[in-house]
Amino acid sequence: MKKIISVALAGNPNAGKTSLFNALTGSHHKVGNYPGVTVEKLEGFVDHGNLRFKIVDLPGIYSLTAYSLDEVVARDFLIEEKPDIVVDVLDSTNLERNLYLCLQFQELGIPVVGALNMTDEAEEKGIKINETLLSESLGIPFVKTVGTSGKGIKDLLDKTAALVASKNSKAAEHAASTKSLKRQEPLQKVPQYGEEIESRLAPLTKLIESDRAFCDRYPPRWIAIKLLENDENAIKKMQDHAKGQEIITKAESDRAWITGHFGKESEIVITEQRYGYIRGAMHETLIQSTSGRASFTEYIDRLTMNHFLGLPLFFLIIYGIFKLTFALGEYPAALLEAFFGSLATLAQIVIPEGFFRSLVVDGIIGGVGGVFSFVPLIVILFLCISILEDTGYMSRAAFLTDKALHAFGLHGQSFMPLMLGFGCSVPAIMATRTLKSPRDRIATILAVPFMSCGAKLPVYVLLAGTFFPKNAYNIVMLMYLGGVVLSMFSTMLLKRTVLRGPSTAFVMELPPYRLPTWKGVFWHVWGKTWSYIKKAGSIILVASIVIWAITTFPQPRDEVEKTQVFAADFAVTMAEASQEERDLAVERALDEYRLEYSIAGKIGKIIEPAIRPLGFNWKLGVALVPSFSAKEIVVSTLGILYGSGSEENEESESLRQALQRDPGLNPLTALTFMVFILIMPPCLASLAAIRSEAGGKWMLFQVVYSMTLAWIVSFIVRLIALPFLGA
Amino acid sequence: MRLSDTRPGTAFIVDKVLIGGEIGKRLADMGFTQGTTGHYIRGAFLRGPLQIRIRGYDLLIRRCEARLIEVKI
Ligand SMILES: Nc1nc2c(ncn2[C@@H]2O[C@H](COP(=O)(O)OP(=O)(O)O)[C@@H](O)[C@H]2O)c(=O)[nH]1
Ligand SMILES: [Mg+2]
Repeated sequence: MKKIISVALAGNPNAGKTSLFNALTGSHHKVGNYPGVTVEKLEGFVDHGNLRFKIVDLPGIYSLTAYSLDEVVARDFLIEEKPDIVVDVLDSTNLERNLYLCLQFQELGIPVVGALNMTDEAEEKGIKINETLLSESLGIPFVKTVGTSGKGIKDLLDKTAALVASKNSKAAEHAASTKSLKRQEPLQKVPQYGEEIESRLAPLTKLIESDRAFCDRYPPRWIAIKLLENDENAIKKMQDHAKGQEIITKAESDRAWITGHFGKESEIVITEQRYGYIRGAMHETLIQSTSGRASFTEYIDRLTMNHFLGLPLFFLIIYGIFKLTFALGEYPAALLEAFFGSLATLAQIVIPEGFFRSLVVDGIIGGVGGVFSFVPLIVILFLCISILEDTGYMSRAAFLTDKALHAFGLHGQSFMPLMLGFGCSVPAIMATRTLKSPRDRIATILAVPFMSCGAKLPVYVLLAGTFFPKNAYNIVMLMYLGGVVLSMFSTMLLKRTVLRGPSTAFVMELPPYRLPTWKGVFWHVWGKTWSYIKKAGSIILVASIVIWAITTFPQPRDEVEKTQVFAADFAVTMAEASQEERDLAVERALDEYRLEYSIAGKIGKIIEPAIRPLGFNWKLGVALVPSFSAKEIVVSTLGILYGSGSEENEESESLRQALQRDPGLNPLTALTFMVFILIMPPCLASLAAIRSEAGGKWMLFQVVYSMTLAWIVSFIVRLIALPFLGA
Repeated sequence: MRLSDTRPGTAFIVDKVLIGGEIGKRLADMGFTQGTTGHYIRGAFLRGPLQIRIRGYDLLIRRCEARLIEVKI
């Protein structure tokens, strides 16, 4: 039995943690979630000698001051789960800022090994690092690595194992001398601040040490530093301390003293001193011979971030991605659709007629198959995004769009998710993970469903084509544009009400361009697609069954009599038609009767009064019910309701004629209905995505909010359009 | 002089981050500390974010954050 050592892989974003993680663990990893939040967690194992390292890839962070969701996750993981070792991945081309985080790990009292990653790039840039000297002056073992090729991995594992051994021997020493109640000496040295700060830190630390139980959980010196940094989380932790109030008061007076002494806030002073300490340690360990020539990145940025050309180029790229996604995705999507179609045919042959067959064919294969047909689109879209992400272009996009989006209360990084929303809300909502501030993230998540997704298009095409035959294209475009405008104003509204708060800073690293690796892109695409497939396989499956059930049950008992009544009716009204046509008409009338009798039909009748002011009759109400599970179902439901069968699609002539024949439907109602479909709560898959990304509370909010908004906006649109379109 | 008042393409020396709290602390964390030299590379269209080169890497900050940094040319 090997001893399991937990290792946290931490470091700045883009330092190469995931590359190093993959190099260390091969493919033996699993994706999980951190408890309570939705940041993905990669976990894997690697054996070394008689040790088994359990490696966790932490989110990329700049500092342990919990500022973004990622930082909260990383900090809480380090403090609460107490990994045995932290392997800090550092970008060697940018050592100063990367060491800044490294020091904070050291302060936390967890043994640190530093992986000087990107060694190849650093050498190319003429940066020479003497890792032995650096190790000596900081008291941290450093190893040079290249994440993409796996160079230095063995050395890294050796150094980690050595640190484990020395930790164990220290612990044994400590256990042997338990007579003295002295606190355990830290394994590694800790960063020193200037005399003034240290003179404040010492008494504060001593005071914190007075509660032994507290100090078993949190390192006292670290807490003292965090208190001087005015860290909210540290202040909150003091509630568990026996002398909490006294300590907080003392820390406050210390902060005031520091601010008075240095003429700036104490948290700024401490940061400056940390950087000062790093400068001192780096002196002589790092030699940089600058070439003075503009880098490859700089040349490209002169174009992509150009004052005037940057934005047009950006739109061109986005347009290209869309073209590619829909043009290329069409073929595999059609193949999948055909596959599910033949699966349905097969089921029809194999399974005897009855409810079970109807459940399998209409419910499961119809519902889940419809969702799976989106997978090729998602794969292509994610492929494009991952490439943009991994090359570093996403940060340029944020640079270009931030100004416009900020005006509405969004963020430069909201742009990508919003664009994705035109394809499918699910990946779009998942893509908001790149946003750091929770408020911006939720604002973006709530804005995404207003981007008309691919499933809403068939509804627009059917209704616009039927009731606005001359202007169909313009009406569809109007719906798309309307959604965009609405999302912006909705965000403005939310940012002034439920999402109100101080504007969060936009401080974002601009990484150099890098060639994406196939492996990296593959893992990105796979990870995201897999979570979508899982969702389709679980939630959509259940939802499809429910929708099938409420449109099927209860069955009318008087079907036989009704058939005769319909037959008699049609014998009169369709006297000229052939017997076949009359039979078809009877079948359709029966379908409609069954639907009216079912729970969905009853719901339609119940909600009719609520949607009457919008001009919708109960049939449109019925069509709205299953649209909660997926918007494209509206078309097939209308097909059933208007007696032309569920296999109708948006191009079908007979369905169009049937719609036009209904006196309850007219251009005005059609327009209002399209607006309603645009705004109403997104499909179940999207709601599930909102729940997992933002929490159940926000999912509920989204349902109530978009329902209300849909009603109000539809009503207003109806009023405005009334004089133009007539009743 | 504030960082937001400098012109694209100029170098500067950080004098002081004017506020503490979340934003000030973040700016300091990212390397805006007294005496550090930086370059204001370029700004985005319509007074959008600024591209700053500091401590050997590039970062983007909004104009309102640049206003919180006192610099010397
Ligand atoms: N040249 C070079 N590139 C690397 C190295 N390690 C990672 N990369 C690249 O740097 C980028 C960011 O790496 P990633 O592992 O995703 O970083 P993370 O954000 O820390 O997980 C990717 O494009 C990697 O291919 C390295 O040692 N050398
Ligand atoms: Mg990563």
